[in-house]
Amino acid sequence: MNRNLLRILAALVAVAAVALPAFAGAYPLQVARNVILYMALAITWDMLLRSGQISFGIAGLFGLGAYASVLGVLRAGMSPLLSIAFAGAFAGLAALLIGFLILRLRAIYFSIVTLALAEIFRIVIQNLHDFTGGPEGLVLDGVILGGSASGLYWLTLAGLAVALGASWWFEKSKFHFALTAIRNNETAAKSSGIDIFRWLLATFVITSVIQGFLGGIYGQSYGFATPDSVFDANFTLLPLAMALLGGIHSTVGPIFGAVLLGLAAEWLKLQIPYGHLVVYGVIIIIVILFIPGGLYGLIKKANRASEGRKA
Amino acid sequence: MAIKRRTAILVALGIVAAVVVALWKPTVLIYGMQSAGLYAAIAIPMGLVLGIVHIVNLAHGEFMMVAAYASYFACTASGMDPLLAVLPAAAVTAGFGLLVYKLTIRRALKSPELNQLILTFGLAITFSQGVNLLFSSQTRKISLEYVSASLTIGELSFGVWPFVFVFVAGAMAYGLKLFLTRTTTGKAALAVGQNPRGAAIVGIDVDRTYGLVFALATALIGGMGALFLTRSAIFPGVGGPFTMKSFSLVAMAGIGNIPGILGASVLLGLSEALMRAFRGLRGWADIIFFVLIMAVILGRSIKGRKS
Repeated sequence: MNRNLLRILAALVAVAAVALPAFAGAYPLQVARNVILYMALAITWDMLLRSGQISFGIAGLFGLGAYASVLGVLRAGMSPLLSIAFAGAFAGLAALLIGFLILRLRAIYFSIVTLALAEIFRIVIQNLHDFTGGPEGLVLDGVILGGSASGLYWLTLAGLAVALGASWWFEKSKFHFALTAIRNNETAAKSSGIDIFRWLLATFVITSVIQGFLGGIYGQSYGFATPDSVFDANFTLLPLAMALLGGIHSTVGPIFGAVLLGLAAEWLKLQIPYGHLVVYGVIIIIVILFIPGGLYGLIKKANRASEGRKA
Repeated sequence: MAIKRRTAILVALGIVAAVVVALWKPTVLIYGMQSAGLYAAIAIPMGLVLGIVHIVNLAHGEFMMVAAYASYFACTASGMDPLLAVLPAAAVTAGFGLLVYKLTIRRALKSPELNQLILTFGLAITFSQGVNLLFSSQTRKISLEYVSASLTIGELSFGVWPFVFVFVAGAMAYGLKLFLTRTTTGKAALAVGQNPRGAAIVGIDVDRTYGLVFALATALIGGMGALFLTRSAIFPGVGGPFTMKSFSLVAMAGIGNIPGILGASVLLGLSEALMRAFRGLRGWADIIFFVLIMAVILGRSIKGRKS
């Protein structure tokens, strides 16, 4: 395909995304916000995956960010926008600590520890009753930006822009080479002078900052945080399924997957209120077994095949 | 010799700690041992799979949940006692486990370790959400009379039934040890676990052994599902936490060390019971397994850096 054509297409999509509130009602905007939020989370998950580490802790860092932001406003008197930045910083700090302890023994151990994160943070927050409101959670006096539908939409879009920017930076900078080398062969990477631990720690912290940041946006745009809502396993499951279906190790794949599954999720939620998540489980299994490159991988393969025929 | 001496010191310290706890807060010892039995009985099958097939099965607890649901419906439909359902549940779950293994896990054996992790995560979601879809998230329980049997010693009164898990865990560990060291199939499985290529060279059917071990592990966890039903209420998410705790126990014991799981479970069970004995600390009990696994990982990485 023509490279310039793709660029123009991307620019058009971006303009359309920014201008969406001008011609969409409240409900489509709400759906779009969900899709965008999950898309951003899917991209951050994939960024860490490029180093060969699987995190199941998205919901944990996301929820931590949501709580940090709501607590920042309620207990420290921060302005809502500042509290969102604080949420990112706080989640990053938590990731730095945890990563420092566990990233030396990576792979399975890292994954399992992150799998427990959401549950552990939930227990901690539930037990700090006086400070965090315990199981009932916390409610803000008002929603950020006065709760205007288009304002909240743009705020979420800004969150996505941060994730996209970071992901592109990862693809274009030294990160790309370091992480790919680590994923392909740790021993070879080490012998070419890559400090594996430091690169992995940096990646884990950066992705966690963005996840916490997104959590802050979520907390501020709904105006409350309860352990059950912000540590919901969906915040791990959906981004994971989206990135896998779209195609991992790229920025485009998770975007694809998020649009597809995000819209499907809205529809499924209406059709089957309970248990529709089974679809995501099945998607994960099928993708891992039969299309490990995801849909984007399929397209790339088809492209390559047609170009090969031309040549 | 050094290792043996250290183990002896550890065991002695453990016994001293247990005696102190028993004199000071006997209920901690009782409840701690009971939950240790439950943890160990659930973790041992996971240790078996991890040690021989080298797969972290994140759907481990979900297999138990599915077996518990199957036993629940069989028991309520026929009026059968869940205890009688233990063996049929084990057989049915073994078949189910073998099917799942053949259809999914076997195809991912050659792909990177982390793909297997995502795969079993997908299985876990599919099982728990599938049950949620079919039977809703309502909790279900069978009330049985013998479960509430209690024993009174002096001023102390406690339930006796949960001790069944201690016996089951011990029997599982001992039975597996006999199986792995005395029978030809077991020895073959052990060999495959140590070196699949070497085992294949000497004529062991590696693929068949993997399937067998996976079926055996799911049989054990299936039986546990029926047994679990005697004591606890079940709901779709009931298995998930056990997956995490089982993995932390297996990691603590060291992969491939099945008797070690018993010791690790005692440590986890007693520390949780100790936390629950204090009003202010009660809510923090569920965090202990995480602290333990972090400690294990730290210890390993420090040891790894030294050598």
